Amino acid sequence: PARRDPSSAGDKKVILLPCKNPPSRERVSLWLEARKQYECLQKWR
Amino acid sequence: MTTLTRQDLNFGQVVADILCEFLEVAIHLILYVREVYPSGIFQKKKKYNVPVQMSCHPELNQYIQDTLHCVKPLIEKNDAEKVVVVIMDKEHHPVERFVFEISQPPLLSISSDTLLSHVEQLLRAFILKISVCDAVLNNNPPGCSFTVLVHTRDAATRNMEKVQVIKDFPWIVADEQEVHMQEPRLIPLKTMTSDIVKMQLYVEERAQKT
Repeated sequence: PARRDPSSAGDKKVILLPCKNPPSRERVSLWLEARKQYECLQKWR
Repeated sequence: MTTLTRQDLNFGQVVADILCEFLEVAIHLILYVREVYPSGIFQKKKKYNVPVQMSCHPELNQYIQDTLHCVKPLIEKNDAEKVVVVIMDKEHHPVERFVFEISQPPLLSISSDTLLSHVEQLLRAFILKISVCDAVLNNNPPGCSFTVLVHTRDAATRNMEKVQVIKDFPWIVADEQEVHMQEPRLIPLKTMTSDIVKMQLYVEERAQKT
C-alpha cells in the first residue's frame, strides 16, 4: 500500500529507537585487547 | 516490462530484504569511518563488489542485526519514512545524523533480469560515498556512541511488536534530547531512484561538536 497521509486521526508520526544501548567503546576495546592476547598465546603454543 | 503491485510475489518482503542487507553494511561502515569503535574490530570484506569494513565484534553485530530485524517489518509495509544512524557525544547529544530517507512506489514496473544488478549498482554508489564521507565531515569528539532511529507512524508500530518480543529487543519513542540538533549543517551524500525504491542519504552535522 502507498504511504498514508500522516495527518489522519490516530496516525501521527513517531520516532522510535531501541531501548537497549549498543556495547560501549570501552567494552569493545577490552574485548579487542583480550582477543589480541589470546591470539598471541595461540602463536606461542 | 511487467507491472506488479506490492502484493505480487511478496515484493515488499524482497525490497525489505535488499534494504536491510544494505543498511547493515552501511551501519558497519559508518561506525568504522566515524571511528565510533576501535578500527581493530573491523575486517575488510567485499560487498556490492567493493571492499567494506565490517565489525567482527559478536555483541555489536548482534545489536545491529536485532535493530534491523525490528525495522524490517516497517520497510516491508512501506512504513519506514527514515532510518537514521545517530552518532552521539558523551552527554548523549547528537553530533551527526546519517539520514536514509526511503520511499517505495505503490506500483512497480520492472524488467526482472536487469532489476537486481541495477539496484546493486545504485547501492554500491551509496557505500562508496559513505566510505569517503569523513573528508567532508569534522572530527567527532572522543567517547561517541550511536543509536538508530526510525521515523514511522503511530499505527505502524503494531507491525514491530511481534519481532520486538521474539528478539527481546524493545523500542521506545525517542526523547527530544535524542532527536534535536541545534543548527545542523546538511551534507547531501547520495540519491537513488530505481523501480523498487527511492532513497536519499544525507548527513546532518552539529555546528559545534566540542
